Amino acid sequence: MKNRTFLVILFLVMALCVALTVAHVIYAIYAYKHCSIIYFIGKELW
Amino acid sequence: MKTSRQILTIFLVVSLFASFNFGIYKLVTVRLSNNFSSATQAQMIDVGRYLPHTEGSDLPKINSTLKLENDLPVLDGAAALVPVYAAVIDNVYPEGCVTYEGGKFSDDNYYGENFAPDSAMQYKNTVRGYKAIVDGETDILFCASPSEEQKKYAEEQGVELVYVPIGLEGFVFFVNEKNPIDGLTTEQIRKIYAGEYTNWADVGGANRIINPVTRLKGSGSQTAFEMFMGDCKIARKSPLAMIGGSIGFSFRYYMDGIVENENVKMLSLNGVYPSAENIQNRSYPIVVQFYAIYRADNDNENVPALIDWLLSDEGQTLIEESGYVRIN
Repeated sequence: MKNRTFLVILFLVMALCVALTVAHVIYAIYAYKHCSIIYFIGKELW
Repeated sequence: MKTSRQILTIFLVVSLFASFNFGIYKLVTVRLSNNFSSATQAQMIDVGRYLPHTEGSDLPKINSTLKLENDLPVLDGAAALVPVYAAVIDNVYPEGCVTYEGGKFSDDNYYGENFAPDSAMQYKNTVRGYKAIVDGETDILFCASPSEEQKKYAEEQGVELVYVPIGLEGFVFFVNEKNPIDGLTTEQIRKIYAGEYTNWADVGGANRIINPVTRLKGSGSQTAFEMFMGDCKIARKSPLAMIGGSIGFSFRYYMDGIVENENVKMLSLNGVYPSAENIQNRSYPIVVQFYAIYRADNDNENVPALIDWLLSDEGQTLIEESGYVRIN
């Protein structure tokens, strides 16, 4: 694979990963504001 | 760069992001379910368990001497008090006065407010319930103390609300069942929420960050919590607290009698467990009143009649049999 091709693919993969991670974090913040805290605390890992 | 190295690099990048997301999912996301999702409907309150005049409901029965037939006051209230006002309707109101249209939850309907508009029973929970009583959509609201915003809204609308204490309840703090801490002092809890104690080890527990959880502004438990904190300012918590060991608050019967989640435990405060007995004898340190609230200008004669009955021995017995503590 040419270096240029590789860098383009790498950039696209990273962009996709960042977008998915941001979406995940935004969902988590939104859901946290609306979630049942009893359920939230009950599912805590100890 | 060799193709094999290039592929390895892409694989590592994807793995790094996947691990990060998996970590967030296991620590946080998996624990989050919206109130209107099927997963947490049962964690809020299953109104279907408390439908009046329905066979198999969880409502207590008493021989009520008060029987209303006409001009039925519309009753509404907080999630924690659904068993109380549903029991009032069950024992005092005629059959056919409640129309429940199912428990559909959505973005516009967090609490499954699917009672028909002409139903004598409604369920809007605290925040919307206070608005409904001020706006004249409800005759009697069963709730804990109002927030400052709710008082202000009534004032702005020129509405005087009458608050009649009808029962007692314990305001409780709870943690995960596996958290080694079983009790705290009220001072320790204030310091946790004030940000002075940030690790469970500070209060004799495990070496883990504390996640002090608060609730929706204007909800009954959040208002009770703000009253408990008094002048002690609630600190902004660290984002890392999300993955720490949490502490939350609620009302005793909501925790113990309605939600009944076995994975959380209520804490003793100052060495006293929040049992009904300790609330009644006031040895538990945070005992709050809950109210029947109505507009002072409500001219439905059945409103004062129902309030008087709630304060009678019959009404108080019903409150007690609904799982709460009588006021007198």
